[in-house]
Amino acid sequence: MSWKEAGRLSRVAFTELSLQAIYAFRQGNASPPGPPEELVPRARRRVLQSKAIVSFVLALLALATAFALRLSETRPVFFPPEVPSAAFQAGIVTGLLSLDVAFLWWTGMQVLPTFLSAGILPVLEPLPIDERTLNQTAGLLYFRLFDLPALTVLIGTPLLVGIAAGPWVALALVPGVIAVVAFSLALSLLTGRFFVRRVQGSRGGGGRAVVRWAYLVLWLVPAFAMFAFVILAPAFFTALGDLALTGPSLASHLLIASFPFTLAALPAIAASGPAGLGLDGIGWAVFLAAIAVYLGLAAWAVLWVVGSVRAIGLVPPRVTAPGPAARFDLHPRNAIVSVLEKDLRIASRTPGFAFLILLPILDAVAIGLLTYVRAPGGSAAFDIALAAVMTAALLATFFGPAFFAIEVFAYSYGRTLPLPDRSLLLGKVLLVLLMFLIAGGTVLGITLTRVFDPVLFTAFILAELPAIVAASLLELGILFWRARAKGLPIPNLYAGAWFSILVSVPGLIVAGLPLAAFEIVRAGGVTLGLSAMAVAALGELGVVAPLTLGGESA
Amino acid sequence: MATTTAPAPEALPLEVEELSVAYGAHRAVDRLSFIVRPGEIYGLLGSNGAGKTSTIKSIVGLVRPVGGRLRVFGLDVLERALDTKRLTGYVPETSLLYDALTPREFLEFVASVRHLDAAVASERCRSYVTAFRLEAEFEEPILTLSNGTRQKVLLMAALLHQPPLLVLDEPLNSLDPRSVRIMKDLLAGYVAGGRRGILFSTHTMEIAEQLCHRVGILDRGVLRGEGTLAALREKVKSGDATLEDLFLQLTEEGEGVRAAVESLRSPG
Repeated sequence: MSWKEAGRLSRVAFTELSLQAIYAFRQGNASPPGPPEELVPRARRRVLQSKAIVSFVLALLALATAFALRLSETRPVFFPPEVPSAAFQAGIVTGLLSLDVAFLWWTGMQVLPTFLSAGILPVLEPLPIDERTLNQTAGLLYFRLFDLPALTVLIGTPLLVGIAAGPWVALALVPGVIAVVAFSLALSLLTGRFFVRRVQGSRGGGGRAVVRWAYLVLWLVPAFAMFAFVILAPAFFTALGDLALTGPSLASHLLIASFPFTLAALPAIAASGPAGLGLDGIGWAVFLAAIAVYLGLAAWAVLWVVGSVRAIGLVPPRVTAPGPAARFDLHPRNAIVSVLEKDLRIASRTPGFAFLILLPILDAVAIGLLTYVRAPGGSAAFDIALAAVMTAALLATFFGPAFFAIEVFAYSYGRTLPLPDRSLLLGKVLLVLLMFLIAGGTVLGITLTRVFDPVLFTAFILAELPAIVAASLLELGILFWRARAKGLPIPNLYAGAWFSILVSVPGLIVAGLPLAAFEIVRAGGVTLGLSAMAVAALGELGVVAPLTLGGESA
Repeated sequence: MATTTAPAPEALPLEVEELSVAYGAHRAVDRLSFIVRPGEIYGLLGSNGAGKTSTIKSIVGLVRPVGGRLRVFGLDVLERALDTKRLTGYVPETSLLYDALTPREFLEFVASVRHLDAAVASERCRSYVTAFRLEAEFEEPILTLSNGTRQKVLLMAALLHQPPLLVLDEPLNSLDPRSVRIMKDLLAGYVAGGRRGILFSTHTMEIAEQLCHRVGILDRGVLRGEGTLAALREKVKSGDATLEDLFLQLTEEGEGVRAAVESLRSPG
């Protein structure tokens, strides 16, 4: 057995993994319509498309960095004059490396649950394959999840930067991109193990649900990091300028020792020399030691990943011994509320769905915190309220249809229960509404100490509320209508991802119309604008609700 | 709250009339007819791929038949789907459940959808948990449970509302001997009142022989024989034949079995 054999085995295993990732057969999903022999090529194509999209974003980031590095040499007017070239370039590359880590880690967290729950590695265990080949196969299979994005970072990024800033700069970037890929793969695996042990296998009960949701917020850190970086970039460059002015200091030494600034400083030095980075004697010693530590850690991370994938892939979800439950009471609820409760419980152990629920809420947190970074102006409360309602509305509406995919779990069993379509639909609408209200309430809570105007905020949220209900009803109603017309189980619609995006378009229009109405008449005063918004939203609900809730299939 | 759909007093628990199920060009069930009488456990027997699961999936609304009629207590399954689902408890062949829920969370969802009273649901739940010894797994995610335990959870969900019709697709497959015994006694008692009915699919002849009042033998989508064990013995003119013998004779697989055993004894 050899790496060649491991490569062959991992190729076969990855085909199965792709099939499960796209069609979720092991979760009880039914085969979609069409010839069965088309399933595997279609699954492969869709996985490749997903990788290509992430790689495209990573290539765009590299292109933007190359462009910024090129511009920093010609010093255009928007170049911050107080920041020396090397510090500015190191700052730019720090942004690139941070976003690369965030994207790769985020990708890993999206695919790890499928990787671990598809049970691919346990299938290989009883086969007569030696330990070394099994470990190599597991490592290669894991790398295949990231191959195209990781290669984009490892090869594409230095290439693009090299074209813009020269071969030495590209070469100096190589340690940085190697560390980025190594750390991202290790972080993905570490958080994946964490998920399997602490989230997916967590027992029931209210207290544990709170802990699970707290873990899932942690899960969103990379996605949130991308958002935070964009928000905090101006403050970061201002701080870099201040540090350059004060010269070598404890702060500049700490900065040069911080990942990824350490490795981002290498191409900056290759391009513009060390001036402005605060590198005195101690600074150089700290800098070189930090490079050695990060490269050592990267090597260790690669070895850890190759050695641990198999063990983690075989770990059972439960790590604590089961204990008898204290009580066996059941608390049945209204059918609509029970759909909401079921979805929240499933989402609390399924990061993909938790992500959809938490993103609008974290977005609201970011908007709220923004008021603490930027001083609020005269119309701050007004602008923040509008921004908060708009983003919460659009995100909640955009992700709304995806909640139907929860029905993919045990979908066949669920269809044998006497649950009316209307109850299922309203349960999902309730979830979207809940997300919108929590997101709106979060901004209100965070910004109260900065811009105290709870009446205005509440009025905005309430005026938009009927439009959110109308938008969700419309999107989910279209899904039901299409499922009935095609005779398909609803979750199967998601085997065609284009439809889930398409169905969001009318929803986004319905959610956006009242906001547009507000913009049109806002010159006449906030009260008039809010009234127009509320009238438009109620009008939409009046049209959409009878259309979607009018009929009921028995 | 209780379910609002009550079974019609004179109607049969289940009527299957000229049922046909097809997947593309393949006809899985061909003009199948049988009934489940009040107070009866009806066994649907057949080899793998005989059409048992397709028949059952049609009854519970998972597969749309291409022909025939299905009635649960007189209500048409296609026209009154919600009502017939209220009257039915179903255990699928594969224990595909909401893996991310615990048995408690799953049963609470089922009880909510079936509009069960909290006290009634809790009382029944406690009884089944004790009977199936599910105390230790009650708060564990279903994902972490063994196949047998998942099967017990499904049986509990099917029995929670005490439906007048139980549709069970290979329900005892993964159960331990203790639970099998409990289930057999429970099912026998379940129909003893004379109003309820059970449709029970299996390919384990021993269980069918012990449990079913009548059996239907299904082969490649067609009913080859139906009746009590005594009636089937009379049909094949064999007074002491076991159900296994009858099955092989009626499906004309006796010769095939002997040939397969011979070839396995002298492979190559």
